[in-house]
Amino acid sequence: MSALIPLLVMLPLLGAAVALVAGRRRRVQIAASITTLTAVVVIATILLGAVDASGTPVAVSVGGWPIPFGIVLYVDRLSALLVGVSAVVLLAVLLFSVGQGYADDDDDTPVSIFHPTYLILAAGIFTAFIAGDLFNLYVGFEILLVASYVLITLGGTESRIRTGVVYIVVSLVSSILFLAAIAMIYAAVGTVNMAQIAERMAQLPASTQLVLHLMLLIAFAIKAAVFPLSFWLPDSYPTAPAPVTAVFAGLLTKVGVYAMIRTETQLFPSSDVNTLLLIVGLATMIIGILGAVAQAELKRILSFTLVSHIGYMVFGLAIATPAGLGAVAYYIVHHIVVQTTLFLAVGLIERRAGSTSILKVKGLMRAAPVLAVLFFIPAINLGGLPPFSGFIGKYALFDAAAQVGTPLMITLIVGGIITSLLTLYALMRAWNLSFWREDDEPDEAEIETLNRVAYLKGAPAAAVETERRAIPKIMTAATAGMVAVTLALTVFAGPLYDLCARIGAGISQPVHLSQLDEEAGK
Amino acid sequence: MTASGVLIVIMAVLFACGVYAMLERSLTRVLIGFLLLGNAANLLLLIVMGAPGLPAFFGDGDKDDFSDPLPQALTLTAIVITFAVSAFLLALIYRTWQLGQADTVTDDEDDVALRAPDHAAEEDALDDEVEVEDADDEISSDFIDVSTSPITVLHHVDHPAIDDDAPTDTPDAPHDPNDKGPDA
Amino acid sequence: MLILLAAFALVPLLLPWAVRLMGARAFYFAALLPAVAFVHTVLQAPAVFSGHIPFETYAWIPSLHINLSMRMDVLSWVLTLIVTGIGAIVLLYCRWYFVGHLEGVGQFSAVLLGFAGAMYGLVLTDDIVVLVMLWEVTSVLSYLLIGYYHRRGASRRAALQALLVTTIGGLVMLIGVVLLVIQAGTTSLSGIIAHPPAGAVVDAAIVLILVGALSKSAIFPFHFWLPGAMAAPTPVSAYLHAAAMVKAGIYLIARLAPAFATVGPWRPILLGLGAFTMLLGGFQALRETDLKRILAYGTVSQLGFLTVVLGYGTRDAALAGMALLISHALFKSCLFLIVGVIDRQLGTRDIRELSGVGRQAPVLATASIIAVCSMAGVIPTMGFVAKESVVGALLHPADGWDTVALVGVVVGSALTAAYAIRFVWGAFWRKKNTPVTPWPVPRAGFAAAPVVLAALSLGAGFAAPVMDAALARYADTMPGAGHAHLALWHGWAEPALWISLTTLVVGAAVFALARVIRWDERRRVLTFGAGDVYNAVLRGIARLSVAVTRVTQRGSLPIYVGTIFVVFVVAEGTVLLATPEWRAQLDAWQSPMQLFVAPLMIIAGLVAVRARKRYTGVVLVSVTGLGMILLFATSGAPDLALTQVLVETVTMVAFALVLRRIPSRMGTHNDSVWPVTRAVIGAAVGIVMAAVAIIATGARQAVPISKEFPELAYQLGHGKNVVNVALVDLRGWDTMGELSVLILAATGVASLVFVTHRADLLSSLAALPAGVGRSRQVLIETADGRSGQSGEAQGQRAWLVGGRRVRPAERSIMLEVIVRILFHTIMVASIYLLFAGHNLPGGGFAGGLVAGMALVMRYVAGGRYELGAAAPADAGRLLGAGMVLAVVTALVPLLFGAAPLTSAVFEAEVPVLGHIEFVTSTIFDIGVYLVVIGLVLDVLRSLGAEVDRQMAEEVAPEEVAS
Repeated sequence: MSALIPLLVMLPLLGAAVALVAGRRRRVQIAASITTLTAVVVIATILLGAVDASGTPVAVSVGGWPIPFGIVLYVDRLSALLVGVSAVVLLAVLLFSVGQGYADDDDDTPVSIFHPTYLILAAGIFTAFIAGDLFNLYVGFEILLVASYVLITLGGTESRIRTGVVYIVVSLVSSILFLAAIAMIYAAVGTVNMAQIAERMAQLPASTQLVLHLMLLIAFAIKAAVFPLSFWLPDSYPTAPAPVTAVFAGLLTKVGVYAMIRTETQLFPSSDVNTLLLIVGLATMIIGILGAVAQAELKRILSFTLVSHIGYMVFGLAIATPAGLGAVAYYIVHHIVVQTTLFLAVGLIERRAGSTSILKVKGLMRAAPVLAVLFFIPAINLGGLPPFSGFIGKYALFDAAAQVGTPLMITLIVGGIITSLLTLYALMRAWNLSFWREDDEPDEAEIETLNRVAYLKGAPAAAVETERRAIPKIMTAATAGMVAVTLALTVFAGPLYDLCARIGAGISQPVHLSQLDEEAGK
Repeated sequence: MTASGVLIVIMAVLFACGVYAMLERSLTRVLIGFLLLGNAANLLLLIVMGAPGLPAFFGDGDKDDFSDPLPQALTLTAIVITFAVSAFLLALIYRTWQLGQADTVTDDEDDVALRAPDHAAEEDALDDEVEVEDADDEISSDFIDVSTSPITVLHHVDHPAIDDDAPTDTPDAPHDPNDKGPDA
Repeated sequence: MLILLAAFALVPLLLPWAVRLMGARAFYFAALLPAVAFVHTVLQAPAVFSGHIPFETYAWIPSLHINLSMRMDVLSWVLTLIVTGIGAIVLLYCRWYFVGHLEGVGQFSAVLLGFAGAMYGLVLTDDIVVLVMLWEVTSVLSYLLIGYYHRRGASRRAALQALLVTTIGGLVMLIGVVLLVIQAGTTSLSGIIAHPPAGAVVDAAIVLILVGALSKSAIFPFHFWLPGAMAAPTPVSAYLHAAAMVKAGIYLIARLAPAFATVGPWRPILLGLGAFTMLLGGFQALRETDLKRILAYGTVSQLGFLTVVLGYGTRDAALAGMALLISHALFKSCLFLIVGVIDRQLGTRDIRELSGVGRQAPVLATASIIAVCSMAGVIPTMGFVAKESVVGALLHPADGWDTVALVGVVVGSALTAAYAIRFVWGAFWRKKNTPVTPWPVPRAGFAAAPVVLAALSLGAGFAAPVMDAALARYADTMPGAGHAHLALWHGWAEPALWISLTTLVVGAAVFALARVIRWDERRRVLTFGAGDVYNAVLRGIARLSVAVTRVTQRGSLPIYVGTIFVVFVVAEGTVLLATPEWRAQLDAWQSPMQLFVAPLMIIAGLVAVRARKRYTGVVLVSVTGLGMILLFATSGAPDLALTQVLVETVTMVAFALVLRRIPSRMGTHNDSVWPVTRAVIGAAVGIVMAAVAIIATGARQAVPISKEFPELAYQLGHGKNVVNVALVDLRGWDTMGELSVLILAATGVASLVFVTHRADLLSSLAALPAGVGRSRQVLIETADGRSGQSGEAQGQRAWLVGGRRVRPAERSIMLEVIVRILFHTIMVASIYLLFAGHNLPGGGFAGGLVAGMALVMRYVAGGRYELGAAAPADAGRLLGAGMVLAVVTALVPLLFGAAPLTSAVFEAEVPVLGHIEFVTSTIFDIGVYLVVIGLVLDVLRSLGAEVDRQMAEEVAPEEVAS
C-alpha cells in the first residue's frame, strides 16, 4: 500500500517529462496528462479506501531510511481525500483548456509549455498534500508556486504580466518567510519531521512556540489569502486565462488552508491561537464579500467570494473541535469543486459573450440556456442555498460552532449568514444583468403604449440573437462534468460527510512518530 | 546550541535591505531584493548549523566535529530554487521591458477605477438593477411586449380536434367577428 | 411519500423536452404528478385519522442527523391536499395560459413543477433541517418563477427582492433551527414538539424561527415583497402567492404552536404583527387599481389574519384557523385565476379600463362572486364558516394581546368585505364614462379551473361538519380545552354571526366611502414604506462595499507587500515584547572569517539597494553572494561554496543577457514612494528576524537528527560526502522537487521570451546556413576544420562554426580559439564533478552548471548559431530525459519492494581502473546533471539567442530574413 504514495507525485512528474520530450506533439502530451491524472485519481481512491478502513495513516520513508532521518510521506484520510478531489478537478480543467486550446487555435496557451507546467503543478500540489516533512512541504509549495508563476503569465500579455508580477512577488515573500520559519524551527528543535517537531515542540516554553507558530501561520495565511494578507488575490487571479484561474481558485488557496490545518493540528497542537483565527476569519468573510458586491466584473466578483469563503474555512479551523474540523474538511472539498466550476462557467461566458462585465453582457438566458444552467446551479450552491453542498457545509459549520456556543462563535455564525446572503446577492445580481437582461428592453415609460401595441398586433418577435462565438463541446462537457460533481457532493453527502466526520476526529489528534514508524515498517 | 552574533547581525541587515528593495516598484530592484532575502535565508540556515566544524565527510573525523549537514542539504535546495526563480524573474523583467519599455509595476486598473470619480455611474447602473421603483407597479398586464392573442372558441391552433360547439362561457352568444385574434 | 418526492425532483427535468415536443399541452403531463400525489394523499386518509400516522424515513446525512423523513399527520395531510390539488389545477390552467407564446415555457414548467415538489416535501417532512432546506429551495424557485418575464426590469427587480427577503428570513431561521436542534437533541419535528425544550436559548431560537416564518408569509415588516412578486405570471401568483409558498410560514406557525405558543415572545409577535398586517393590507387593497395587486394586498391582509388565528394558541382558534387556511387557499387561487383569464383575454387588469365584462362572461362572474363571498365571509361559503368560528374563538379576550387580536380581526374583516366588493365591481361591473370592453369568449377549458375552485369554496361550506371531524384532530393537540365545532349554521343566537354580519355592512359602507373620497387616486398614505427601507439597505450595502474596497484594495504592489511585512512585525513583535525574558546563547563571533566578511556583506547589501545603475546593484548583490561563499567554505560546507560560486556566475551571465536590453540607469519613475517608511519596515523585519533567530537557537535542547547522518550516509547511502548523499538519497525526494522547479524555470523563461510559441529553431541545424552542417562534423571531430565558402567570412578559416555568422566587427579570433580549446576540457571536468560528487565535493548540480558554463562560453564567443552547433540536443529533450532518469531511479526500488529512491551499490574489478563502485543514486545525479544543462541551454536559447534575434529584427529585419 505504502508503495502507492510516492506514485502520486512521480507519475505526474513522469508525465511532465514525457510531455517535454514529446515536444509539440499535442496528442502525446494530452494522452500523457490525462493518463497520469486519471491514474492519480485511481491511486488516491485506493489509498483513501485503505486509510479509511484501517483508520491509521499510511506512511513511507523515502530512501528507506529509518524515520525520522529520511523524508516521510504520509497519507491520512484528509490528504487522500484532497489529493483525489484535486486530481478530479485538475483533470476537468485540463480537458477544458485542451478544448479551449484547440478551438481558439491561437497559441495563447502554448501547449508544450502548458502540459509540462500543468503536470508539475499537479505534482507540487500532491507533494504538499502528502508531505510528512516540513521542508518537503516547502519544496511542494515551491513547485506549485513556480508552476503557477508560469501559468499566470502565460501568453505574456501586458495585463497578465502586470497582475502576474503582483502574484509572484507576494508569493516570493511568503516563500521566504516559510523558509525562514523552517530554519527557526530547526534551530529550536533540530528536526524537520512534522511528527517529531510536534513532540519536541511540546517541550519548549509557550512563548517560544508562539513565536515560531505565528511565523509559520503568516507564511501559510498569505497563500490561503486570509485577511489582511489577501489583497493580492483579487488583483492577480482575474486576468489569467479562465482554466488557469479556475485551478488556482479551486486548489492553490486550499493548499494554504491545508497547511494551516496541519500547522494547527499537527505541528502546534499545544499552542492556541484560535481566538485570533476567529477574528481574522470573520474579517476575511465580511471584507471579502463586500469586495465582491462592489465589483461589476464576474471574474473579480468570484475572486472576492473566494477570499470571503476562505474565511469560512478559517472559522471552522478555529472552532478546533472534531466537529468543526470535519465541517472544514467537507467545506474545503465543496469549495474546491464549486469555485472551480464557477470559474469554468465564467470562462464559457467570456467565450460566448466576449466579455465578463455584468454591465456589458446581456441576454445569455436566451442565447445560451445550457450555459445558464451551468452557471446557475454552482452559483446558488456557492451562495449556500439548499439542497446543495454549500448549505450542508454551512450548516455543519454553524452546528459545530453553536455546540461551542460562546458569544464569539455566535458572532461568527451571524457573520457567516451575512456572507452567505451577500454572496447570493452578488451572484444573482450578476445573473439578473447578464442572463435575464435583454438588448431590446421596453423601458418603463413606453410600457403603457407597448401594452396596447403588444396586445393589438402582437409584439415584435423575440430579439434576433446576435452572432457569438460557439463553444466547443469539450469545454461545455468539462464544465457540465464539474457541475455533476457538485451535485454528487449533495446526493452522496451522507457517506462523504461521515468520512469528513472521521477526518475531523482523526486530525484532532496529532500523528506520533512511533505511529509513522510502524506504518512505514509494514 | 550557540549562534554567532556577527552572522545574526549580517542576516538582519540583509533581511532589512531585501525588504527595503522588495517594496520597490522597479522589478529589477525587486529581484535584487529577492536575491538579498535569499542570501539572508541561506545565512540563517548557516547560523542554524551552529559553530563551524569540519566538512561532513564520513571517516574524516569524529561526527561531533562535523558541521551539521542537514541545514547544508536544505541550503543547497534553497540555493537552487532561488536560482531557478531568479532566472524566471529575469525573463519576466525582459518581458515587461518589451511591453512597456519600463520594468515598473503599475497599480491595478480595476482597483484604481473603483476609486475614480466616474465610478459612480457604474454604481448607479448596478443600483438601478436591484432597487425597486414605484414605476414597477404600473405594469397592469402579463402580456406586455409578449406576442399573444386572446384565446377564443374559434381557434383550432392548439388542438384541431376541438369542435367549435364545445360548451363555452356564453352558449347562446352569436360569434362576433371582431373578436378574432390576430393569428386567426 | 419519498418516492413521490423523488419523482418531483426528476420529472421536471423532462419537461423542457416535453414542451418542445407538444407545446403548451405538456402541462397536462406536468399536472399528472401533483394529481397522483393528491390521490395518494387522499388514500392515506384512513391511516391518518385512525391514528397510525404514515411515516417514512431515509438516513441522508447520518453524522449530521439529517434524515429525509416524511410524516403525514392531520396538519401535513391538509396542507398536502392543498399544495398538490391546487398545484394540479394551476398546471392544467397553464396549458391554456401559455398557448401561443412558448418562449422559456420549457424551463418555466419544469421550475413550477419542481416548486410543487418542494412544497410537497416542505409540508410533509419531519426533519426540521430538511424543512429549512426545502424552505430555501422554494425561495430560489420562486425567484425563477417571478422572473419569468425577465425582459422587464421590474420583474427582475421584484424577483431579486423576493429572493433576498425570503432568503434572509430563511437564514435567520437557520440560526434558530441550529440552536433549537442543539437544545432539543433531535432534528425530528415531531420529537421536538413532543418534548419541547425550554429556556432562554429556546426562546431566542423560536423568535429567530418566527422571523423566517413571517418573512415567508409576507407579514409586516416583510410584507412588501409580495405585491412586487405580482410581476410573476398570474398562474404563479395563484399558486405561490395564494395557496402554497406564502402558506409555508403559516404552516410553520401552526406546526410549532402546540408546543411553543406559550413561549414568552410568541403571542406579542404573532398577534401584534399579524393584526397590524391585516389592517395594512386591507387599506392598501382599497387603493389599488390593478386587479392582481388588489388581490396581492388582500393576500397580505389575509395572511395577517391567519397568523393571528393560528398563532393564537387555543384549541378553538386552531380549529378555526385551519378552516380559514383551507378557505383562503380555495378562494384566493380561484380569484387569481379569474384575473388571469381577464388579463389573457383583454391584455389588461386595470379596473379603470374594464367595464361590463360581467354581462358578457356570466359564468366567470358568478364564479368570482362565489369566491369573493367566501373571502368576505358570506353564508353559505367556506369563508363564512371559517370567519364565524374565528370570531367565536376570539370572542372572549383574556389579556391585552387577545383584545388586539379581536379588534384587528373584526376591523380587518370589514376591510376585507370592502375590497372584496371593490374587486367584483372593478372586474365585472359596467362603469359610467368607461366604454364596454369587448370580450373575446375564452375556451371552456381555460375558464374551467376557476369555476371548479369556486364550486369547491361553496361545497366546502356545506361539508363543514366533515371538516370539523378532520381538523379537530389537529386542534386537539393544542394546550387547553375547547368545545367549538365548525358548522354552516350555529343558529341565530350565535353572537359571532352578528359580528360578522356587521363587518359585511360596514365593509359595504367603507367601499362606498372609498369611492366617494376617491381613495384610490390619493397618493400613498405613508410617504416612506418598507420598500424604501429595502432600497436604502441595498444602497447602503453598495456604498459600504465600495468604501471598504477602496480602502483595502489599493491595487499597489508595494502596499500589499508592505502589509505582509507589517503584519509579520506586529504579530511577532507583540509576542517578543510581551514575554518578560528569553533564553539566548550567543558567541560574538565564531571564526575570523565571519568578522572579515561582515563589513563586506553589510556594506554591499546597503549600497546595492540604493544603486542607481542596474549593473551596480547586481554586482553588489553578488558581492554578498561572495561573502556567503567565503562563509560556506570556512564553515565546513564545501559543496555549498562550490554550488554558490557556480550559481553566482550563471546568474550574472543571465543578468548580463537581460540587462543589455534595458538602460543601465534606473529612471526616476522607478523610485518607489516613501523611502523612509520602507526603511523603517525593513529595519523592523531585520530586527524581528534577528530576535527570533536568537530565541530559536537559544531554545535548542534536543540533539539534531543529523548527528547520525554520517554513519547512515555511509551504510545506507554508500557515500562519504554526507551532503551529496543527502541530496541524491536521504533527501532525494526534495531534490526531485528541485528538478521540477528547474524545469518550470525553463518553461517559464521560454514562455515569456518566445511569447507565442515554444519552438526553438536552433535545436536542428536546419536553421544554419548551407555548408555549416558539414563543418559542424569537423568541429565535433578534430581540429582541422574545412573552410566553408559561405557567409561574410569569405576564405577565412573558421575556428567556430557560428563565428562566420557573427559580424566581423564583433568577432574575436583569440576568444574563439580559447573557447574552442577549453570547451571539451570543461565538459570533461563537469563530468568528473558529476561522478566524484558522491564521495568528494561536487555532484550532478555542480557538474551540470560547469557544463552549462561551457555552453555559455560557446555562445558568448560564437553567437546564437554557435550555440545551435554546440548544443547536444533540444533543451526540452534534455530536461525531459533528465527528469525521466531521476524519476525512474526513484521508481525502480519500488519494483523490488523497497522504498522509493533506495540506493543499491554494485562493485566490480575493472582491469584498467581497478576497483569500481557504482551506486544507483549516481543515475539520479546524472538526471540532475542533464536537467541543469537543459535549463542553462534553455536560458541561453531564450534570453540569449532569441533576444539576439528580436534585437536583430529591430535593427534590420531583412538580414534575419536571409
